[in-house]
Order: sequence, then structure tokens, then C-alpha cells
Amino acid sequence: MSRDLFIFSSGTIKRKENTIYLETNNGERKFFPVENIDSIHLFGEIELNTKALNFFAQKNIVIHIYNYYGYYSGSYLPREKNVSGELLVRQVQHYLDEEERMYLAYSFVEGALFHMQRNLREYENTNEFVIKISQELENAKNCKSIQELMGCEGRARDVYYNAFNLILKSKFFFEKREKRPPTNPINALISFGNSLIYSTVLSEIYKTQLNPTISYLHEPRERRFSLSLDLSEIFKPLIVDPIIFKLINNNMLKDEDFDQDVNYCYLTESGRKKFLKEFDSKMETTIKHRKLGRSVSYKFLIRLECYKLIKHLLKDEIYKPLKAWW
Amino acid sequence: MFVIVTYDINEKRVDKVRRILRRYLSWVQNSVFEGEITIGKLEKCKKELQFVIVPEEDSIYFYIIENKNNYIKNVLGIEKDLDSYVY
Repeated sequence: MSRDLFIFSSGTIKRKENTIYLETNNGERKFFPVENIDSIHLFGEIELNTKALNFFAQKNIVIHIYNYYGYYSGSYLPREKNVSGELLVRQVQHYLDEEERMYLAYSFVEGALFHMQRNLREYENTNEFVIKISQELENAKNCKSIQELMGCEGRARDVYYNAFNLILKSKFFFEKREKRPPTNPINALISFGNSLIYSTVLSEIYKTQLNPTISYLHEPRERRFSLSLDLSEIFKPLIVDPIIFKLINNNMLKDEDFDQDVNYCYLTESGRKKFLKEFDSKMETTIKHRKLGRSVSYKFLIRLECYKLIKHLLKDEIYKPLKAWW
Repeated sequence: MFVIVTYDINEKRVDKVRRILRRYLSWVQNSVFEGEITIGKLEKCKKELQFVIVPEEDSIYFYIIENKNNYIKNVLGIEKDLDSYVY
């Protein structure tokens, strides 16, 4: 039920009357119900003081900060209360054991490719792409090393992105995936969506005992929370891509939603807001969970994925990646 | 679930009540709050309010809507931008 708060305006965030209070530079004031807030995403220029930070730590609110271009740059995380030495040891053990690591890495790829195929099947004339992706999935089964596996995943992703031009109706044309900086609108949308997913997955990981720096598919040495990259693989095609298709095919985005120049393209504030509105409602969408027998939101599915991983690491139940059944 | 809270409180205590409600729900109009909340949180909120109010003088109404899709809100005049989490 608790929600994510996205702040674009510039101003000050304070603790006031035991809740979160935002005062923007143009004089608007707003209170937010602290009990219903799960994490805060800051896009504007915001001032914070230690009093506010202490308060967020007390309420277990995570703060994610994005830079001028909407890229994720860092987080303020409350002191970790959920630490588990045993789980950490197991996590490392599974990383060091090659077979175990391959199994988990393969599972993440499997989940990712499954959701890519699922997306493509919703549209016509995408059969050949679906077949190519299943071939890559077959290849992935026989991979001997993580590099090979990453190669399969990368090729499948190329095929998937090539199919975008069939799916997307309007004048937006997708040539190839480019990051840093994204050079066309589609790339800008993918980059922005992915950075949202990374931080959302990270907030969910922090609610469990998992250590976000030890990962299996991505190498864990890269000064980032690579476990959230691993888990994001599964959720990127499930959550971000349908939003992109919706925004473009329903003509919800206009030229002024992008800040374009010769060698870069970024979403403007209005574009980001439109994206976030869809993202927020997607995260709150609920589906009936087969095993739990109750409705769960997409956001909670991410947490369940973490719990499944913990069970696997503790040798309780073998990890199977989420495959959307609805 | 979705809840609308209206209250009539003696001036001496109204500030305390508003402060508590502000932590759980969004402010809509003078003496009216609304928003989505879980059953547990609502109970917690009610408990906190019980410590503040004087039952003989004050009253707080909770209108509970099980499913948010089942209510329609018509507005005349200004609608304040509320339940938005993109700001």
C-alpha cells in the first residue's frame, strides 16, 4: 500500500509536525503522509537537513537521488536493520561455486527472455523474433561461462530491440540501443525506465536480508549494487517496456517531452512526469497470486523475488525465476 | 482501502488531531482528510486519536470504501491537486 514519492520541483524538504513537508521555491507548501511513504525519488534541486534524514531513517524511508538528466546517481539508505551473517556467507558461497552461480545467472536470463517473448507475442508478425529468442535461450542452457551467458543475453536483447520497430506505430524509429548519452527518444525512454527499475529493486532488496553487492549474472566488482541489476533483468521487460509501448502507441508523448540535440536526447520534466505516472500506476496494479492466494502488486512481486532468492540460498527451495502467468 | 475522514473537534485539540491525521492521509479541505490506507494503519491512527480527543465533545467520522474504484468524486469549483505522488 505504501507508495513512492517523486519530487520534481526544487525546494526544501523538512520534518514538520512529524511528517514530511515540502516547501518549493515558488512558495507552494505540501504535507505528505509519512506512514504511507516507502521511498522518495528526488529529481529536482532539494535541500535536506540532518533532522529530516534522521526522521527518514527512523521511518525506514529510502531516498534515491537522480541527476539533472534523470540518471540514478545514489541513495540514502537507513541503517540496515535486517542483517544476516549467515545469508551473506551463503550468498558468497553461491557466487564462488561455479555451478551454483551458473544456475542463478541462467535463471535471471531465463526470466528476462521469457518476459521479452511474452511482450512480443502481444503483437502481430513478431513470430520470427520470438523464435530467435528461444534459440538464444537454448544456447544459454549450454553455456560454460558467465561471459558466454552474457553474450546470449545480449544477442537476445538485440533481437528484441529490433522487433521494437514493428511494435511501435508512430514516427519514433528505433535504430539501436545507445546509452551514455541516449541519442533518440526510444533510447531515452529505455534509459530512464531502467534507472527507475534499478532503484526500485534496490529499495526492495533493502527490505530483505540480502546483500545488494553480491551478484551472480553481473560481476560483483563494479562499485555498484549489482544484485539489483541481476534482479532488474527480469523486471525490465515486464514493467518498463509495456509502459514505453503504451506511451508511444497511444501518442501520449509529444516532441516537447524530449530535449533533443545532435548527439543526445533526454526526457524533459513533462516527459518524465508522464512516464512516472504510468510507472506508478503499473507498480500499484495488482494480480492474483497463485501460491499466496491473494492479490499482490507488481512492486510486491519484486520483494517476493528476493524472498525466493533467499530461500534458494538457504537451500530451502530451488529458485525459479518469475514467469508472468497472467 | 480508501477512507474519508471528517472531524469536528474543540478548538483546543483540533491541532493535535490534524497533526495525527496528516501523517496517515492527505489533507483535502478544512476538517477533511482522505487517502488510501491499510487496515492496520487505520487502526493505529484511530488509537492515536483516541488518546487526544474527548469523547463527550469531539467527533470524528470515518467513511470507508473497500474498493477505490467504487467511488465517484464530483467537484464544483477548485479541485486541489491531492493524491498525487508526483510533485
